[in-house]
Amino acid sequence: MMKDHIVSAYDAQLELVSSNLIKMGGLVEDQLKNSLQALSNKDTSFAEQIIFDDHKINALEKEIDALTYKIIAMRQPLANDLRVVLSALSIANDLERMGDHATNIAKRVANVKINLPDAPTIEIVKMGEDVQFMIKQVLDSFVKKSDKLAIKAWDSDVNIDDSYLNIYRELLETMAGNPETITGCSHLLSIAKNIERIGDYVQNIAEDIHFIVTGQALERKSEKRINWEDINQ
Amino acid sequence: MNKVKISAKNIDVFYGDKQALFDVSMDMYEKEVTALIGPSGCGKSTFLRCINRMNDVIDICSVKGNVSIDGHDIYDKSIRVESLRENVGMVFQKPNPFPKSIYENIAYGPRIHGMANSKTDIDEIVANSLQKAALFDEVKDRLHQPGTGLSGGQQQRLCIARAISVNPEIILMDEPCSALDPIATAKIEELMNELKKEFTIIIVTHSMQQAARVSTNTGFFHLGKLIEVDSTDTIFSNPGNQKTQDYITGRFG
Repeated sequence: MMKDHIVSAYDAQLELVSSNLIKMGGLVEDQLKNSLQALSNKDTSFAEQIIFDDHKINALEKEIDALTYKIIAMRQPLANDLRVVLSALSIANDLERMGDHATNIAKRVANVKINLPDAPTIEIVKMGEDVQFMIKQVLDSFVKKSDKLAIKAWDSDVNIDDSYLNIYRELLETMAGNPETITGCSHLLSIAKNIERIGDYVQNIAEDIHFIVTGQALERKSEKRINWEDINQ
Repeated sequence: MNKVKISAKNIDVFYGDKQALFDVSMDMYEKEVTALIGPSGCGKSTFLRCINRMNDVIDICSVKGNVSIDGHDIYDKSIRVESLRENVGMVFQKPNPFPKSIYENIAYGPRIHGMANSKTDIDEIVANSLQKAALFDEVKDRLHQPGTGLSGGQQQRLCIARAISVNPEIILMDEPCSALDPIATAKIEELMNELKKEFTIIIVTHSMQQAARVSTNTGFFHLGKLIEVDSTDTIFSNPGNQKTQDYITGRFG
């Protein structure tokens, strides 16, 4: 258990950084969850609402930025405090990008006027839910300052990459078989890519949490299971 | 890493019955700045004073263990304290120039140590020392005015010039900036950066940021014990000991 600082206002500032990060992470998780729901239900008005909600995430990022600058200027944090403050900047930046990717999904749902093919949509939503779980896991690892949990989240990304490859392959096949699905499938490809990118950002955050907890950079390689050669035939 | 200049082994220091240092062993490297940090009363100044035997002048103080400079035990009976202090200069918390002229403040040491034969020699040492202490340009037109008339920061640089006038190899600094404003502090820090090319510097400081800025290695003292000594980078970014981390991050309760 970490001892309190002698200056309690310093603790209050650091706690505010953490609570804002957790709040921001929660919003990003919701943003993805809602986007997936809008995608499943082809619910364009819900998608509009999701697009509007993105500003809340951006506002929190600005708040975290301002707070960390203030802490650096006022307190000159060192050691574990310095790691938390610097990582907070980078985590907030990653969460903001994740929010953008989730919002991009809603934008497709809101603006695409054609029917998206059902079977691959179901697969994509499933992949999105897996990424949503990774977000939850990495946020938990931040709350618990658990290196183990962070690494677990990091390792899950390889499954997302696998799913992405399968979806990619399936969409190519669908397009090749039914050229009239090309427009819809292309939109789905973009949506799948957005979800895949969110998984990559979860890995970044997991690396930051590993750094906060251990003071070391995470040296880890994922098992490279994807073979893009398969689909370059 | 440079070669070991000063090596302290198993130092215990007692003031009467009270033990102030417990089994402190630490190496300090040539032409590097080593910082000693820790809360008030932790023994860092006591340790610093072991290096030039300043503790000798306190009647009730006794030192056990071994301090060597270039492999020679400085507590050996054959060592003359005067020549040790010629080799190990010291700068204190408050600037303490002699109540004499700027010139005389610096000329005094070389004269009593018999380092100069003529006025020309002394003139040269004075000019040289003031230049090395980055003070010459500011005082060259008033060398014969009282040193106590200078600003605090200038007085401290005068004391540094005085310390280096006798050609020491080591300079001990006991919170040299604690009575100075941030600009004067920055000038001393800049000066230390220059001086370390020629001298081995050991600095006691209460400013973490100062230790982080000026030193290569840092030792953390607590309740008379050396808790941790490591590269300054490690101490301030990822210290090995929980006590060190609590102290440098302001959590010491």
